[in-house]
Amino acid sequence: MKQLTYLILFLTVSFGFAQKVQIMDSLVVNDLEEVVVTGQYNPQSVKKSVYEVTVISQADINRQAGNNLADVLNQTLNISILPNASTGKSSIKMFGLDGQYVKILVDNIPLVNDEGFGNNTDLTQINLDDIEHIEIVEGAMGVQYGADAVAGVINIITKKSANYKWQIRPYLQEETIGDEYGWFDKGRHIQSLSVSNNISEKLYANITATRNDFAGLWGDKQGESYQYNDGKRGYEWLPKLQYNTKGMLSYQAENMKMFYKFEYFNEKVSRYDSVVRENYNPSTQTRNPISSDEIFTSQRFMHHLNANGSFNSGILYNVSLSFQQQKKNAETYNYRILEEEKFDVAEFEYESRSIYYSKGTFSNFLNESAFDFQVGYEISQNEGYASSISGDYDGENIRRKIGSYDVFASAEYVPNSRLSFRPGARVFFSNKFDTQTALELSSKYLFKNKMEVRAVVGTAPRMPNFTELYSYFVDANHDVRGNEDLKPEEGISAFIHAKKIFEFQNNFSLRSKLSVGYIDVDDRIELIIVNSSPLAYQYTNIDKYKTWNVSFSNGFMYQNISGNLGISYSGVSKVLEGRNYDDDYLKALQLNASLSYSVPQWNTTFSTYFKHNGPEYQFLQDQDENGETILIRGKQDAYSWWDASIRKAFYNNKLQLTLGARNLLDVTRVNSTSVSGGVHSGPPSNVLLGYGRSYFIKLLYNLNFN
Amino acid sequence: MKNKFLILNLFVLFILASCSDDDTKTTQEFVVAFENPSVSLTTEEETKEVKLVFSRNAAENGTATITYTTVNAEYDTHFTTNPASEEGTITVPVTAGSNSATFTLNKLQNPIEGTEMSVTFKLASISNPESSIQGNTSLAVSFTESAALGGVLSPDWGGSTYPNQVFIDLSSQKMTPIKRDTWELAFYSGSENRVFLNPALRVSAAELTQFTDINAVTSSTVFDPPLVINSFDLFTQSFNEVIVNSVEEYKVGVKVSYSVYEPYVDTSTGELEGTAISEIAVNDEENKVYLVYMGTEIEDTPAEPGKINTGSVDRGWYKIRVTMEGDSYKLKYAPLDATDYSEVLISKTPQYNSTAFSLTNNKALSVEPAKAEWDLNFSGVFATEIGTTYSDFVLHNTLGGTGVYEVVIEDGIKSYEDFTMSDVIEDSLVFDKKNIIGSGWRSTTGPSSSTPVSKNDRYYVLKDTDGNYYKIRFTALLSESGERGYPKFEYNLL
Repeated sequence: MKQLTYLILFLTVSFGFAQKVQIMDSLVVNDLEEVVVTGQYNPQSVKKSVYEVTVISQADINRQAGNNLADVLNQTLNISILPNASTGKSSIKMFGLDGQYVKILVDNIPLVNDEGFGNNTDLTQINLDDIEHIEIVEGAMGVQYGADAVAGVINIITKKSANYKWQIRPYLQEETIGDEYGWFDKGRHIQSLSVSNNISEKLYANITATRNDFAGLWGDKQGESYQYNDGKRGYEWLPKLQYNTKGMLSYQAENMKMFYKFEYFNEKVSRYDSVVRENYNPSTQTRNPISSDEIFTSQRFMHHLNANGSFNSGILYNVSLSFQQQKKNAETYNYRILEEEKFDVAEFEYESRSIYYSKGTFSNFLNESAFDFQVGYEISQNEGYASSISGDYDGENIRRKIGSYDVFASAEYVPNSRLSFRPGARVFFSNKFDTQTALELSSKYLFKNKMEVRAVVGTAPRMPNFTELYSYFVDANHDVRGNEDLKPEEGISAFIHAKKIFEFQNNFSLRSKLSVGYIDVDDRIELIIVNSSPLAYQYTNIDKYKTWNVSFSNGFMYQNISGNLGISYSGVSKVLEGRNYDDDYLKALQLNASLSYSVPQWNTTFSTYFKHNGPEYQFLQDQDENGETILIRGKQDAYSWWDASIRKAFYNNKLQLTLGARNLLDVTRVNSTSVSGGVHSGPPSNVLLGYGRSYFIKLLYNLNFN
Repeated sequence: MKNKFLILNLFVLFILASCSDDDTKTTQEFVVAFENPSVSLTTEEETKEVKLVFSRNAAENGTATITYTTVNAEYDTHFTTNPASEEGTITVPVTAGSNSATFTLNKLQNPIEGTEMSVTFKLASISNPESSIQGNTSLAVSFTESAALGGVLSPDWGGSTYPNQVFIDLSSQKMTPIKRDTWELAFYSGSENRVFLNPALRVSAAELTQFTDINAVTSSTVFDPPLVINSFDLFTQSFNEVIVNSVEEYKVGVKVSYSVYEPYVDTSTGELEGTAISEIAVNDEENKVYLVYMGTEIEDTPAEPGKINTGSVDRGWYKIRVTMEGDSYKLKYAPLDATDYSEVLISKTPQYNSTAFSLTNNKALSVEPAKAEWDLNFSGVFATEIGTTYSDFVLHNTLGGTGVYEVVIEDGIKSYEDFTMSDVIEDSLVFDKKNIIGSGWRSTTGPSSSTPVSKNDRYYVLKDTDGNYYKIRFTALLSESGERGYPKFEYNLL
């Protein structure tokens, strides 16, 4: 903590004599006509899009000093981020559905991770240093984005051009983790360097390298060298070291654009066992404390080649080819703590995904403004590996190839400038599952009073995962089995969005949006009791999940002030077949608000972000005093995220300093009675959501020249 | 100029932030001690190996110098050592890479009855650098049998497949390992006529109330009327009524598992009246045929670190019927679907708690040492009456008269080190429940880890059959490499 104070002092002194230049922070200017690509035949403005696309701008990300996706999505309505302190992962929850139902794309194609392709993503592994903006579309988008795009799609759009011949941008970011900070072994330390060059008018190249050292939360714990067995060894949040290198080469000609993108990502997560075998030797009265530790190393390679443009005939094409691989290796060993000696070292592949992928779309066949259609394909060869250690697979390593070959088509009918319809369909062929289909109908109407109304009905399947397919844990006391005959789950959603922009005097503008949505997942896969004596469990397509949602959000601008205020109210109902369960809708409330005030004379922007997550409920089985099984309504308490930052530019915007605080309300654990326990453990009484109030300082240097 | 200064600043920060830190170093010192504080030789024993143990592997070669004092014993007349004593000191080599060293004590003469004869060895010095002598710095050797002052024992469960159960006599430091699958039944030697099942092999038995003719029972035998069993469900914690029509159907609920219908295993506490097989009646007609689940086979492959592999392969099904013939048990037995049966007479053996019998090997055998010669049974695997199976289970000899109680260290409770004879609470000693230690000495799940570990917040007080009081503390459950089934405990005479 002290060290951070010194750092801030040091920097403040350095800038003390900074000259004041009258220049607007270019990032404060909010462009209402943002161009979006998600679900579009061709990139176009938000207004023209037939989908309702929510945009998180680069300015928003910068104000929050967001380094990875988990840093910024916390503030978004209908989305929650669930960190896991003991694996280091952060997963997404959207409309109450977990990361398996949310598709994460980078430049329109899914991104691989240890356990999935586009879904099940660890948000901390997605670096945001080279991005232009983030687009979010709510609801099932099976036609455009295929399987697993059930609750929604998050599309990360990277930068593909620069305003200067050379842009060199190093930055440093220092953060506390809760109230912990040290030069090396505490806090979070980020260093990044990005170099862009417009090689010629047509050719652009960028390389970005980032190191993100999350030293872990110590809390009451004492780290790796602690030698007593009182639960204090190790870390409360695992330390994690990430390296990310990305390269981009883009080419722009008159009728075509091409880019090649490369990424190498490396992450090391160290898990130090809290249990210490003290091995007291009564003879010598000495101890030989030993622990069993694990180090996980994930490596990701991503290549993406894209070409888009128009043929002479006027037909538009957009084709992507990609090879992606992510491999997580484990090193397990026993550690003699006093002698600092590793022994029984074993290294093996833990989990991996390797994917050959291509997607192409073709449109504008008729070259007519009222009617257009698009045809496309999306194919992938997905080789997945799960070691016997990563799950219960009867001691076997699971390696499976799943090929999926989808074709899709949609038509856009625009009878006049106000109305448009887009029906679409996709057929999923696969070597593993029965042929699936996804359907969609989108429509948009622009009223004369500037009101925009969009209605979208869509479907998307969710493919079963390895645990559900291949688990096998059978012994004297247990019988838990996967099910290779599982069908994909079926998601269907319907959303209506009404949006209107109000322009008032004095540059006051208000953008209001009311959305109503409904998502239904059928044939949900759950682990259920298939035989009660002897007790046996198996994954089965049986349950239903339904959620509705009403949200109302308002963005406003007034002179140098901009902000947002949103509210979302939702209900979730589950039907668990074969079990005594209540399918009542359980309601939840979310609020978010942000405010940003810029002072051009000072080149300074003050911003604050607030999100309130109301109490969440879940039905749980319990017993009454007579030993009868009853259903109770478990509750997770409400909590709020509140962040604030000050961003100031110096020397013609060459230097940017951001000072801020995350989690000002110091949220750590939230009381909960809504989580059921496992077979051998009781329900936890709280859920870990954050590591407490923390502070950051980010110093970015923009070196631009022609 | 300013720009350059700033860039320089940034560079310095980059370099600073890119280095990494090192933790402060802790070290393990090299300590040498006698493994045990005392040892005694019986009249028959002529040599004894004395073990020196190190706190860690020796980094280099060296020597340990040992001196000794004697009572009524003279070197070369009553005893010698190897390496030999030179001018009253014994020099034992310490070999680099090893974690122990030994020397041999040879007894040349037995003491005259009624006189004490003993040697006390003392560690004088260690030549290895940065070494120290600590703990058991001396060893008292008695040439007459006497209760051990204490020691460290590592019962041989045999690792994560737990092939053995081990009987332990603390006063003589004697351990008797025996394979778990050498017996299924044990016939009580006391006045009541009782038959025990082997919980270490997970054997269970259910009375077939409609049958006294062993040949009339096979797996296809139908119950008429069907059995109605009120079975307890471990998961829902409620009773379910189960209808069983045949022996084949009954197998599911007789087998030791979470789904076991009724207590078909002897009670864990070990009272005579808790046996799954009813007391054998003198009136033959009251003794029914029993369906016996033979437990699970001992596995060959060790489990992963921290885990167990105690078996899932069934050893099959037998049928038995036990009657009394005079004071002996008459056992009829056969594999469930056999058309013929074997018959054997098993007599009571009063110096033992019971006589064990192997159905698969057709023979009686003594599994336990004589009842006065063991205190603890490291059962390892242990099936309970509700169908759960434990590993790492420890029992004490209630039938032989051993008593135990547990001391959990809290405020106001003395530590193991400080606990003395005057702290013993005689009334706390439990002589009628054999599972006081049970599996409570270890935990298998922590808050953030599933590495099992011995608990250091408790110890046990034991009164053996000769009236010696010992305190016992468990120090390990895993091998250095983390394999289950390598227990270790220390004990001291109070």
